[in-house]
Amino acid sequence: MFLTRSEYDRGVNTFSPEGRLFQVEYAIEAIKLGSTAIGIRTPGGVVLAVEKRITSPLMEPTTVEKIVEVDRHIGCATSGLMADARTLIDRARVECQNHWFNYNEPMSIESCAQAVSSLAIGFSDSSDGGSAMSRPFGVAILFAGIENGAPELWHMDPSGTYMKFLAKAIGSGSEGAQQNLQDNYSPDMTVDDAVELALNTLKQVMEEKLNSTNVEVMKITPEKLFEMYPKTEVEAVISKLQQ
Amino acid sequence: MISAENFPEYNVPGVVKHDFHPYESNGGSVVAIAGDDYAVIAADTRLSSGYSIHTRKQNKLFKLSGTTVLGSTGCWCDTLALTSLISARMKMYHYLHQKVMPTNAISQMLSIIMYHKRFFPYYVSNILAGLDADGKGVVYSYDPIGHCELASYRAGGSAGALLQPVLDNQIGLKNQENVAKDPIPKEKAISVIVDTFISAAERDIYTGDGVIINVITKDGIETRNVSLRKD
Amino acid sequence: MLPFNNGFASPLWHNGPIPGGLYNFPGHNGPASQPKKDYGVQRASQPITTGTSVVGLKFDGGVVIAADNLVSYGSMARFQDVQRVFNINNKTVVGAGGDFADFQCIKRYIDQKIIDDMCYADEYEMKPKSLYNWLTRILYTKRSKFEPLWVDIVVGGVEDGVPFLGHVDLRGRSYQDDVIATGFGKHLALPLLRERTETGKPIGRDEAIALVKKCMEVLFYRDCRASPNFTISVCTKEKAEILGPFKVSQNWELAKSVEGY
Repeated sequence: MFLTRSEYDRGVNTFSPEGRLFQVEYAIEAIKLGSTAIGIRTPGGVVLAVEKRITSPLMEPTTVEKIVEVDRHIGCATSGLMADARTLIDRARVECQNHWFNYNEPMSIESCAQAVSSLAIGFSDSSDGGSAMSRPFGVAILFAGIENGAPELWHMDPSGTYMKFLAKAIGSGSEGAQQNLQDNYSPDMTVDDAVELALNTLKQVMEEKLNSTNVEVMKITPEKLFEMYPKTEVEAVISKLQQ
Repeated sequence: MISAENFPEYNVPGVVKHDFHPYESNGGSVVAIAGDDYAVIAADTRLSSGYSIHTRKQNKLFKLSGTTVLGSTGCWCDTLALTSLISARMKMYHYLHQKVMPTNAISQMLSIIMYHKRFFPYYVSNILAGLDADGKGVVYSYDPIGHCELASYRAGGSAGALLQPVLDNQIGLKNQENVAKDPIPKEKAISVIVDTFISAAERDIYTGDGVIINVITKDGIETRNVSLRKD
Repeated sequence: MLPFNNGFASPLWHNGPIPGGLYNFPGHNGPASQPKKDYGVQRASQPITTGTSVVGLKFDGGVVIAADNLVSYGSMARFQDVQRVFNINNKTVVGAGGDFADFQCIKRYIDQKIIDDMCYADEYEMKPKSLYNWLTRILYTKRSKFEPLWVDIVVGGVEDGVPFLGHVDLRGRSYQDDVIATGFGKHLALPLLRERTETGKPIGRDEAIALVKKCMEVLFYRDCRASPNFTISVCTKEKAEILGPFKVSQNWELAKSVEGY
């Protein structure tokens, strides 16, 4: 006798008879409610662009921080539950500094993603005597980084799976955005092309009209490493798009 | 309290009292020189305690990777414990990060491993030689509690104080006028190292028997052996 | 009185820490800074019942290890028929010097391991290098806890057809060589053995046994803690065997010619 789905989604550690972990799948669904974030890797650097949902005109838009610096050579864009994101980002930062302290070298992007991943799948772990966490993290992360002078883009989802991408979109508009990226990505594009493509893609999938307060843009290059785009530069790109 | 001090009549002359010391100096010297595209590191092969020679053919150079060699002397049991820990950590790094640990990462890790035992130190004199990420030779030297210093040439171990001035003169060309400070060719570095060991064996009873030399280049690690006086 | 608070110089500051004083980390100024009532523990860190030298030698195709059969209590020849060389299995042998009780303590673990290996019946046996490395780690750990096992152990055997000979001491200091001697043997037997091995000529089994017997004789004459009875363990790739007990055929004729005491 098969039990209904609802009886297999109570525990985070229980497989359904079809071999699924519903809580993890729900967490992946939760990402699709989050704001859209886009990452594009080019030979000259990686670009991250995210949508910020300004739900009230009384809200201070700069306090919505969806792109963060993890180390000088790694930047992250997050989508999903922001509180969960902070926990994962904190881990990423600690791991990067710990790696630097122990080995006097920047941590590789994959290792950083792997370290965060082990925290992300730790929700089911009760081996240290403590009880298992109540739910998986409802966050997807894009890791943009420079490793040995080469740009890399990695994506991690709530199941802890991490993979390397040329271009990736996460969040509510991810399906349309990913299609757009697929159609317009070219391996030899410049960083500026990528910024344009990212913002253009966001423009298409965002409900609100794209402007310099409801998006955040970052680029990471071998020369200057992590750099946020100042508001003025974002404005310049947006006005270019409108021409 | 029942202890020997309370029974002075038992302290008769000739009775040997053992007091445990965890450390023992087992001697040995290491010399390393870094060049533009190579690094040479050498250590003698004598393992001794006081006037006893345990073995005349103890290798004190530890190949940590294809581009890094550690020379370690001092308290031999600490050297063994430290070097096994390092190779275990190197493997863990390899499996975790999918790459061989580079020389500068090893240098930092070694410093931290040693400092972790700040209050019961590994009583060892370490010199790390290898190639950096650009293929340039580097030498790092350590004190027993983990102070790490990047150098281009260094002598350490029981004859370290005897050998370092020779290197200062021959390799560092210190306080010399009208000398061309050209890069040291590899063979010149090796021959200076051999000479320093021959000299050390004359005056340091803890250095002798033989020298093992590791020449590290981008093509790999070449090993050479040279005999020293065995008395 | 701390050196910085002498009569000539006033304290650097009042109600503050004293330079050169001892400090606890902040937040630990409670009971920890009170004078300790517990004066710590005293352990007997000297050997009590001891075996003297062990001599080991590699030969063509095997190793030989010898030790006399005496376990002393200080200067008293307390236990005069104790074998100090052991065959762990057919490829591993050990010789024990130093505190014999400490060695027996280690030996119990090794014996249990042999039983475990036999129970698995998978043809696996402790190899000499494994035992040597295990002893190194055990003894190093004990010395690091300041609870040394006061032993000098010679491990021998044949691994993959190649003879093995190693020495581990109470600190976990270990090394391998073609000739090994511990204790007094370091001074008396080692030169005799090295004299032969440094010729570079291969040594046969019989010659190796004869050489080791000669060493045991010299040791008996000159080491006050040695006994004339000794045992030899020989390990080749076929098997490990215990030879003996042998007795040094003593000749004190020379003593009659010594005058002037």
